[in-house]
Amino acid sequence: MSTSLAAHPDRLPDALRPPSLTDGPVTLGQIDDQVLAFPARKPPLKWYLAFAFTGSLALFGLVSLGWTFFEGLGVWGNTNPVYWAFDIINFVFWVGIGHAGTLISAILFLFRKRWRNAVARFAEAMTIFAVICAVIFPLCHTGRPWLDFWLFPYPNERALWVNFRSPLLWDVFAVNTYFSVSALFWFIGLVPDIASMRDRTAPGLRKTIYTILSLGWRGAASHWQHYEKAYLLLAGLATGLVLSVHSVVSFDFATSLVPGWHMTIFPPYFVAGAIFAGFAMVVMVMVIVRETMNLQNLITMYHLDVMNKVILAMACIMGYSYFMEGFTAWYSQDEYLHWGFMNIISGTYGWAGMVTIACNIVIPQLLWFKWVRQNYAAMIFVSIGVTVGMWFERFVIIVISLHQDYLPSAWQVYKPTWVDFGILLGTFGIFFSLVLLFARVLPVIATSEVKAVLPASQPRPELHVHAPEPAHASAPALAEEVADA
Amino acid sequence: MRDPTFAVLGLFDSAQALVDAIPPVKSAGLGALEAYTPYPIHGIDPKLGFRRSPLGGMVFVMGVLGAVTALFFEWWMSAIDYPTLIGGKALFSWQAFVPVMFEVTVLFATFTAGLGMLMLLNKLPLFGHPMLAARSMTGITRDRFALGIEGDGERLLDVDACTAVLTAAGAVEVEVVPALVNPGWTATFATRSIFGIVVACLVSGVGMYWGIKLFHVLPPMVHMQEQPKLMPFEPSTFFADGRGMQPPAPGSVARGHLPYTFKALEDALSLPNPLPATDKVLARGKKEYGEHCTVCHGALGDGVTTLTAAYGAKPANFHTQTLREYTDGKLYHTIVVGKNAMPSYAVDLTEEERWSVVHYIRALQRAQNARPEDVP
Amino acid sequence: MSQLSKVKTLIALAVLGAAGVGGTFAVEGAQRFWANWLVWFLFIATIGLGSLFIVALEHLVGARWSVPIRRVPERLASLVLLAIPVGVIALGALPALYPWAHEGAQLSAKVTAKLVWLNVPFFSGRAIGCLLLWAVAWLFFVRGSLRQDTSHDHRFTIRAKRFAPLYMFLFALSVTLLAFDWVSALEPEWYSDIFGVYIFAGSFLGALAASVLCVLGLKDRRRLDGVRADHVYNLGGFLFAFTVFWSYIGFAQYMLMWYANMPEEVYWYKARIEGPWMVLFLTMGVCHFIIPFFALVPRDAKSDPKRLRFVATLMLAAHLFDLYWLVFPSVAKTPLLGWPELSFAAFFLGVAGLWLHRAFKSGRDMPVGDPFLAEGLEFHL
Repeated sequence: MSTSLAAHPDRLPDALRPPSLTDGPVTLGQIDDQVLAFPARKPPLKWYLAFAFTGSLALFGLVSLGWTFFEGLGVWGNTNPVYWAFDIINFVFWVGIGHAGTLISAILFLFRKRWRNAVARFAEAMTIFAVICAVIFPLCHTGRPWLDFWLFPYPNERALWVNFRSPLLWDVFAVNTYFSVSALFWFIGLVPDIASMRDRTAPGLRKTIYTILSLGWRGAASHWQHYEKAYLLLAGLATGLVLSVHSVVSFDFATSLVPGWHMTIFPPYFVAGAIFAGFAMVVMVMVIVRETMNLQNLITMYHLDVMNKVILAMACIMGYSYFMEGFTAWYSQDEYLHWGFMNIISGTYGWAGMVTIACNIVIPQLLWFKWVRQNYAAMIFVSIGVTVGMWFERFVIIVISLHQDYLPSAWQVYKPTWVDFGILLGTFGIFFSLVLLFARVLPVIATSEVKAVLPASQPRPELHVHAPEPAHASAPALAEEVADA
Repeated sequence: MRDPTFAVLGLFDSAQALVDAIPPVKSAGLGALEAYTPYPIHGIDPKLGFRRSPLGGMVFVMGVLGAVTALFFEWWMSAIDYPTLIGGKALFSWQAFVPVMFEVTVLFATFTAGLGMLMLLNKLPLFGHPMLAARSMTGITRDRFALGIEGDGERLLDVDACTAVLTAAGAVEVEVVPALVNPGWTATFATRSIFGIVVACLVSGVGMYWGIKLFHVLPPMVHMQEQPKLMPFEPSTFFADGRGMQPPAPGSVARGHLPYTFKALEDALSLPNPLPATDKVLARGKKEYGEHCTVCHGALGDGVTTLTAAYGAKPANFHTQTLREYTDGKLYHTIVVGKNAMPSYAVDLTEEERWSVVHYIRALQRAQNARPEDVP
Repeated sequence: MSQLSKVKTLIALAVLGAAGVGGTFAVEGAQRFWANWLVWFLFIATIGLGSLFIVALEHLVGARWSVPIRRVPERLASLVLLAIPVGVIALGALPALYPWAHEGAQLSAKVTAKLVWLNVPFFSGRAIGCLLLWAVAWLFFVRGSLRQDTSHDHRFTIRAKRFAPLYMFLFALSVTLLAFDWVSALEPEWYSDIFGVYIFAGSFLGALAASVLCVLGLKDRRRLDGVRADHVYNLGGFLFAFTVFWSYIGFAQYMLMWYANMPEEVYWYKARIEGPWMVLFLTMGVCHFIIPFFALVPRDAKSDPKRLRFVATLMLAAHLFDLYWLVFPSVAKTPLLGWPELSFAAFFLGVAGLWLHRAFKSGRDMPVGDPFLAEGLEFHL
């Protein structure tokens, strides 16, 4: 009479119940109808209002950037000794935010977490948009941005090569690789979905565009075979990128001699921070997408719950990292390091240090509570806190360490200018404008991926051909014993 | 004779039904099997008889190639072609080369995976495939599963037999997909391609010309060249005479040219030569003498030059008894103040140079009036 | 090999080793004796700790595929109990190996300022505290799971999932202490804040390797039927991924210290790379990264028992060499490898082998009381 609990999920207590991927049953066609309908019709008024707002922020940012090009970097607040300021803070901030998308797409794919399929598409899109925002900064913070191509090792008439020993050059390669790989991965994932859109659209310009973009995809099993293999390989390679790109960004600081920068824990600490900030941004966008596009049955509360748990885990890792920095500041008996650490909370910018600790460690502790993890207002509050906190963390690392380092005669208080703020706001405008455009034009959920993991969408497992396991007498006995539980 | 039928498709409503239908259809052996599904079906590839995808091996090889290429170029660029010492690190600082090597490995590997899969293995983009015109395609990308018996190139497809086998295997619908009449190259396609290539060349050519020639001379790109600061020989409205370059204020003293305080010869007579008679000093003296004094006093210091012949001037002959009795201070004074037709050389020679010349003159004098003891 | 003859071999190994161990103390001196003891304490503690981490992690994330094999790391985790007596004895190494624990040692100003942290009573207290913490965690996770075999009480699974986050937090602190106290305090002027993560990565990898070996061994003896190539593939995948992770952490620490070239940091590496130690450094790079990485890259390799056995054994040996490479350069100018090291190896392999032999008899070979065992057995790639 009794059978294993796992076979009867409804008899399991809440804490152990496996989540269903969708809220309520969904058919394959329903997914297409829900998700693919959006690119096909005109968006509601609120989309236009939102786009107008984000677009104007983006425009303000572009004006600030244009002013920077025309007048030179003197219009920023960067000056001796704080030669890296908002530019690098924003760069690290946006690159970090991009990492969440790659983690969801690639790492969760490798772990076979099927819930990732519903959120992977727009998370990846967010990665690409975040990297676009990030890349603006290294390109524009060079004094003559029109000569940025000098960063690449091409044979030139100056008879010189770039300096491969510089972490700034490693950044060039890392961020470029990251952008290309993310874009390729994203596009490849889109091909079958654009094919679906192609087949739903009446003949016309839109259908032609979809036809071209879907490359003539026809769903052949022989194609899917290579496609799945490529997807797996890309996921594995992108996982390596998640670790390496933000580590290379951390090397910008850790290879130096600035007290507070040369800490060996920077690589994993930065990667954890990136995932932290990125997931917070994904949660915010996820809530907006879920509500405005009525996708609650596909992007369930379980998704949000798990994302928030990851944010909590990352907050704990950040806490460990801060603790290690503090402990090392004492343990090293290096007076500069020690003083630098104390300066974070008690110096000129002590308020920024406090904001960082409050937003990155204290506030996310709220996520221990289930009602916070599953309540929109609460989770958005935490996510905004994390975003602000992570921006300030980069501010703390860069500005506080630079403005008062070894020589007191070089100390200076840093003051950002309106142009600095303009570009920062502008990147938020660019990012959210791109997200809005993406939601308007492309499917926000990877429909083919979600279809593949619905219950009953795959044939029964005994039809799999794996290394054959010889039957053994103990197996049925064990299963029976388990079933008697 | 070309097969007018590309494939006979049997349509199913679930992945399970499709997979169940494969064994009977395969054993009927009517053609090559292919399935069309809205998402990948686990375990279907071996059942359809597909070989394993070679993509893994391709990606590995290209990844290794990426690593080797990156490391080689980093080494060659940093240790061979443009070696610079940076931070005291070795020329082949492999530790610093690892990050770029890793990123290039990933780049090569991912592009092989992505583009290799699309272009090489799946031969996409391909817009002229007969399946794209099939009626069932709409269902296939939505929620329908198709099992296709396709021509294997050896014989024509027996449409009726295929339909019967598929229906018996459980297909809810059967579609016969015709082959394309004129697949592949057409005149329109060729024309459009050539036109597209020509346009692309024009656009990129014009763009590059503009970029290389015109772009970088527009503001703000010229702001580094055209800086609001005074460059030599530029005019300036700041000064009354409109010139940017002004002479030094009266009373300015050039370095190495402290004013000579001895007006009368008597005061200078006893000035000692502060420089020692070293090789270096004499070499300098020779150089300066050659540049400034030879023209009148001659290379041997005897005052015989083309000037004497041409202009009747009479520069001093250093080898006369009078000149040999000049003190160093008197020679120095003469250089600074001038004598008769000889102008002052105070501006041309710094103090040190003058004293070096004095040493050299002494050397010349000794050379022309050598004693037997001077011969080594 | 039958059970009894296996036990006899292990006892013989342990006894022979013990003779050599005693001989080392008498003949070669306290330093060499304690250096070897320390390395083996670290080896046992890290494998046990890493296994306990695997168990706690599985509870934390609610992994289902790993339920059938969870008993293996649970049994390996019993090494944290063996680590208690070994660790308490290892405290005797303090005066011999740690400069700040010498009586009347000449210490620099920086080390003197740290004496409030680096002193024998506080160090011992911390060490014993961590050992007790791990024992409590073992009691909770492993004894609880063993009890669940008979009670089939799913409340244990719920409690384990709730307690896992707290344990992770305590684990992070305690593994950092293990790293900073036992290893990095050998050179009290040196510091690296990633060191805790480095030791963690090594422990996790070592425990994974040990688990893979035990899973494959049990499968061979038909004790883990139901565990298929799909499960083994996942284990192989983890082994591959964390080889890369360990290498990344190790390289990051090395490269950053190489790049900044600060004397107060690089002297630690100079002692471990220059001269005769270079061979060991390169061997470790090859055995800990290059060979396992390339051996496990192909998809099939990750579920191939022969390949996995080779890599896992290599990995365990490499982990031991890693600990040796961390400890010995503080003790000796050249790598010491002689009868003392071999006797210590025999002794501890014998003792740990006997300990695990007993552990692998406790409870069932699969956590039969776990409500998700059936789902875990059904797992397919």
